[in-house]
Amino acid sequence: MVSNRFLIKRLLLLVPVLLGVATFVFIILHLAPGDPARVILGQRASQARVLELREELGLDDPLWVQYLRFLLDAAQFDFGQSYTVARGQAVRSVLATRLPVTIELALYGQFIGLLLGIPLGIISAVKQDSVVDHLGRIGALSGISIPIYWSGPMLILLFSTFLGIFPASGRIGSTIFLPDHWSLFGMELPLTGMVTVDTLLLGDIGAFISASRHLFLPAATIGIYSLALISRMMRSSMLEVVRQDYMRTARAKGQGARITILKHGLRNALIPVVTVVGIQFGTLLGGAVLTETVFGIGGIGTTLVEAINATDYTLVQGTVLMFALLFTLVNLAVDMTYSYLDPRIQQ
Amino acid sequence: MSTDTQTGAEDVADRGIVERVRSSQFLAEMLSNRIALMGMVIIVGMVVIAVYARLTLDLGTLVDSRLGGTIPDRAAPGWAGGESAWNIYLFGTDAAARDIYQRTLYGAWIALKYGTITVGASTVLGVALGTIAAYYGDVTDNVIMRTMDVLLAFPSLLLALALVAIFGAGLWKVTIALILVYTPRFARVVRGAALKVLEDEYIEASQALGATDSRVLARHVVPNSLAPITVQSTLNFGLAIIDIAALSFLGFGAGPGTPSWGLMLSNGVENGLLTGKWWMSVFPGLFLAITVLGFNLMGDGMRDALDPRMRETVD
Repeated sequence: MVSNRFLIKRLLLLVPVLLGVATFVFIILHLAPGDPARVILGQRASQARVLELREELGLDDPLWVQYLRFLLDAAQFDFGQSYTVARGQAVRSVLATRLPVTIELALYGQFIGLLLGIPLGIISAVKQDSVVDHLGRIGALSGISIPIYWSGPMLILLFSTFLGIFPASGRIGSTIFLPDHWSLFGMELPLTGMVTVDTLLLGDIGAFISASRHLFLPAATIGIYSLALISRMMRSSMLEVVRQDYMRTARAKGQGARITILKHGLRNALIPVVTVVGIQFGTLLGGAVLTETVFGIGGIGTTLVEAINATDYTLVQGTVLMFALLFTLVNLAVDMTYSYLDPRIQQ
Repeated sequence: MSTDTQTGAEDVADRGIVERVRSSQFLAEMLSNRIALMGMVIIVGMVVIAVYARLTLDLGTLVDSRLGGTIPDRAAPGWAGGESAWNIYLFGTDAAARDIYQRTLYGAWIALKYGTITVGASTVLGVALGTIAAYYGDVTDNVIMRTMDVLLAFPSLLLALALVAIFGAGLWKVTIALILVYTPRFARVVRGAALKVLEDEYIEASQALGATDSRVLARHVVPNSLAPITVQSTLNFGLAIIDIAALSFLGFGAGPGTPSWGLMLSNGVENGLLTGKWWMSVFPGLFLAITVLGFNLMGDGMRDALDPRMRETVD
């Protein structure tokens, strides 16, 4: 098991990294060209109004005062107000509505990758140098060589434009409108923002099917990439494990090949795979930006692109910080899983 | 006694698995070389295409819109049932009636040029930072590596996007942003490799003979860390080409009309995807994927070939 001391140590190590990340993001905002007050008010606003807003936003304070204020606010997830994209709305609430969309997409993609990638990697390793193995390896290498912004459009062309099986964009049928809450025993509860979960909570099966069909192509786009990466790692890690003494011992004790591989092999071979899944989560978040753009899904990725285009720096700042925080936390979770799978790591 | 148990264990052990692994080591090495070779052939092919396009095609005619000319826009390739008059156009035309074939060939030049600059510069920076961190240790090591940690805390494409928000759009600015994104990865690998090399006795010997720090680094540490550096560079080459094109795809890289694969793809998606004009997005993407595959094959083959040493030096 993971000891508390280990967990606390890892959490403490996060503090300097997050502080560095926040500082870096603060610097970005201050190096970015243009006066935020001017961006908010537009080119035609009077100079007096601009100066007034600068005062309001605290832009005339000494840099270190602004820095400390930024850190204190960021620690409370307060990233200020959006300048242009969602004018006047708090960045926090923009992120709160967009983030579940991205997480849902990433989770489904990752799920497809794990579901197919792990068995594929095991088969490839056990049947090393067979035809299956060669095909699997070449397939996996091709999979990581195809950029998401090409596999996505190709899937759309095939399954949407030509075959008409799946919709090419959006999250749910255009005639379906979901209420903003659901009720349980008469209580009104907020929805999650993840459309496949929400439709189930509302008990609307038709809407759920529509949502799943919309999610299929984008999730498959991410899934192909993730599948390729996972099966590659699973293969090489399994190959290493298969040669270990304890595998031979287990077989010597009379255990069947299948059981040995699944019981002793898999647990040990999964360790590097967990790392890859974690590290890849960052790529996946980056991939979500591209996937959302291709499929016209309004997640946190498209928000970032919109924000950069519209010089909405508070939104850029909030989004980037949120991404870094997510990424760092996932890495921590990876470390924890890692030490659970291999207790030696804690020492 | 223990020998007996071991022999016994080997007898009972699944001969199939154990032996296949052993006899395959030789095979695997050959295969890995063949994989590397395949990658190299693809890369050389792309370099030839890139240089040919750069020398024979006029960039101006590829960039400018040809609308209103004799050639229709969005015309299918002749061989795929497009108007017979346009047979010469192997890949069809785009929304501005430009020849996709020529533009795709020129795209190889753009991808390889900016890819080389990105990987070259981040390798040099990463090697410098990594070896300095390993050699001097202490505060120097901490300052360099903790800075790298902060940069590594961002998903790479998002860090690049954040930097583009400061620098602004354009291929050169995107390249600079990506150099900053890729440097920490090299620094980390190189530092690990350099630490291993520094343990060797000849380092101490050469220091005892009065070699300066820079001489030790340049003559011993860097050359002996070259294997992991080369593999890292090759594998990152593919990623760099994907990322540069990705930023162009999102509209932050190549300027309007530039025959960059990423931008051509985004035009193809915008103008031809739902109307079934597949040639607009198929060809640039195919070239991009093949190029990246070349680098991945080569990097993979090289890593396999160097495996025993790599296991010790990387991480």
